[in-house]
Amino acid sequence: MKTTLAILIIFLVFLWYLSFLATRLDRLHHRVETSWANLDGLLQRRAAIALEIAHSEIADPASSLLLTAASYQAREATMEYRSQAESGLSGALGLLLADGQSNARAPEKALLTELSALTNKIRVAIALHVDAVNSTHNLRGSKMIRIFRLAGTAPLPVTYEFEEDVL
Amino acid sequence: MLTKKLKIGIVCPYSWDTPGGVQAHIRDLAEFLIASGHTVSVLSPAIDEDALPEYVVSAGKPIAIPYNGAVARILFGPIAFARVRQWITQGEFDLLHLHEPAIPSLSLLACWAAEGPLVGTFHAAAKRQKIIFAIGPILEPAIEKLNARIAVSEAARSTLTEHLETDAVVIPNGIYAKRYAKGTPQARWQGNTIGFMGRFEEPRKGLAVLLEALPIIARFAPDVRVFVAGPGDSEEIKKSIDPQLLPRFEFLGRISEEEKADFMASVAIYVAPNTGGESFGIILAEALAGGATVVASDIPAFDSLLGGGEFGALFESENPTDLAKVIIDLLRNNQKRTELAIAGKEHAQLFDWEVVAEQIFSIYEMSIVGSEGVGLAKDHRSWNRLLTRDGDDK
Repeated sequence: MKTTLAILIIFLVFLWYLSFLATRLDRLHHRVETSWANLDGLLQRRAAIALEIAHSEIADPASSLLLTAASYQAREATMEYRSQAESGLSGALGLLLADGQSNARAPEKALLTELSALTNKIRVAIALHVDAVNSTHNLRGSKMIRIFRLAGTAPLPVTYEFEEDVL
Repeated sequence: MLTKKLKIGIVCPYSWDTPGGVQAHIRDLAEFLIASGHTVSVLSPAIDEDALPEYVVSAGKPIAIPYNGAVARILFGPIAFARVRQWITQGEFDLLHLHEPAIPSLSLLACWAAEGPLVGTFHAAAKRQKIIFAIGPILEPAIEKLNARIAVSEAARSTLTEHLETDAVVIPNGIYAKRYAKGTPQARWQGNTIGFMGRFEEPRKGLAVLLEALPIIARFAPDVRVFVAGPGDSEEIKKSIDPQLLPRFEFLGRISEEEKADFMASVAIYVAPNTGGESFGIILAEALAGGATVVASDIPAFDSLLGGGEFGALFESENPTDLAKVIIDLLRNNQKRTELAIAGKEHAQLFDWEVVAEQIFSIYEMSIVGSEGVGLAKDHRSWNRLLTRDGDDK
């Protein structure tokens, strides 16, 4: 009788532990979604600003073409290629900003300030997202979660490899 | 910025009525956010519950325990936990900002109890401690709930990466730089003077290092005087000072914010010989903003705040001879002293609340994307019902 009770208690504690792990994982997945939604929003805004810059007077026809292409690519890229496309856009913007800033006039100046404010935010957003993804990967790698398939059918979050130095 | 008005809950781990860097930071942040039109509630332990500002909610009386080389007045336990849950349910916050959630405190309790947008700020910088490795796995489930982690300095950030294997965004502590810029030099503190500020009785503040360096300094600068500001029993310290040097000392006791600005604008050199346990060094930022030439020990926090010596002079920590050398060098070289002070004052603007609060707020904005506010965590709800009933019975 006593052993049955002990086994039952151990089993219940074990079940509780599994549900605790599942909640943790669920929360982490949610965190990844939030941080991605945030990063995605900021990147979309950046692409929009890049287009605006492309159509403004800062950009010469060649760099305008380059920027337009890069921002379309960034907007349309699928998840796996997103960071690559965004790095492309960063590169195009970087090229332009390297020599375009000096002869900018007032309305363009405003665009450029907005862009740099946005860039700072994106940098933070990337850090937050990468952190969330890493935590999720770590937890999903643990034995318990793999054996009991606690992650269910949720896809493994994709690491976002943004080349920060380009920004 | 600051377009959407938020309801923000801030949790302070340490007793509200004891002076300290974390409390000062929370007070200034809360007041800045309120001034920008947000609703803020701060949950904090407090000894005197009647003397609290309107926006602070008391969670009960703190217990004093030794932590990180000082006595920390913090609070935890089942009653505090019930109080935290009640505060979270009643507050209907958009976001919780937890300070120092990795130590056993109200913040950790709130981190356990809450679900939703959570931001955590890590203040402490500690050396690698075995104990933390033992409790790391216990903390992990709580800490990983934070949507965003802020570290107040690179030192605090590396502590976090080492102990809890998680990264953080570095946002410095804030100061009201403009208030300090208003200080007017006072003749009584001018001349060949050295200023020291802080709880001088605590060994880690390093007054002893300055005391040891003084005989050497006095040999080269016979008219040097030292002003010590801050709370504490000066009679006790005076006994340990060489009677010959005693006339050079003046203990000012605790001084007001305005006096502080004047103090920083007056003294020839402000010295911070802290031996450790310091994570950010807000006092250095204030001294720089007040236009003082700063000499500080080269502990990691100070080294990074002073840009490796660019905005203030550094000396080898706990080495009185080196301290004396640096001070004498600066007292003799007026030009170098002024240059350092000017560079420092400009650098201090980076720590102004206008800049810092905007950075913190943009973290808030990022954390609340797509959320419906803060509630009690799912895995606690059933427990809560049970425990709250117990709590009511008491």
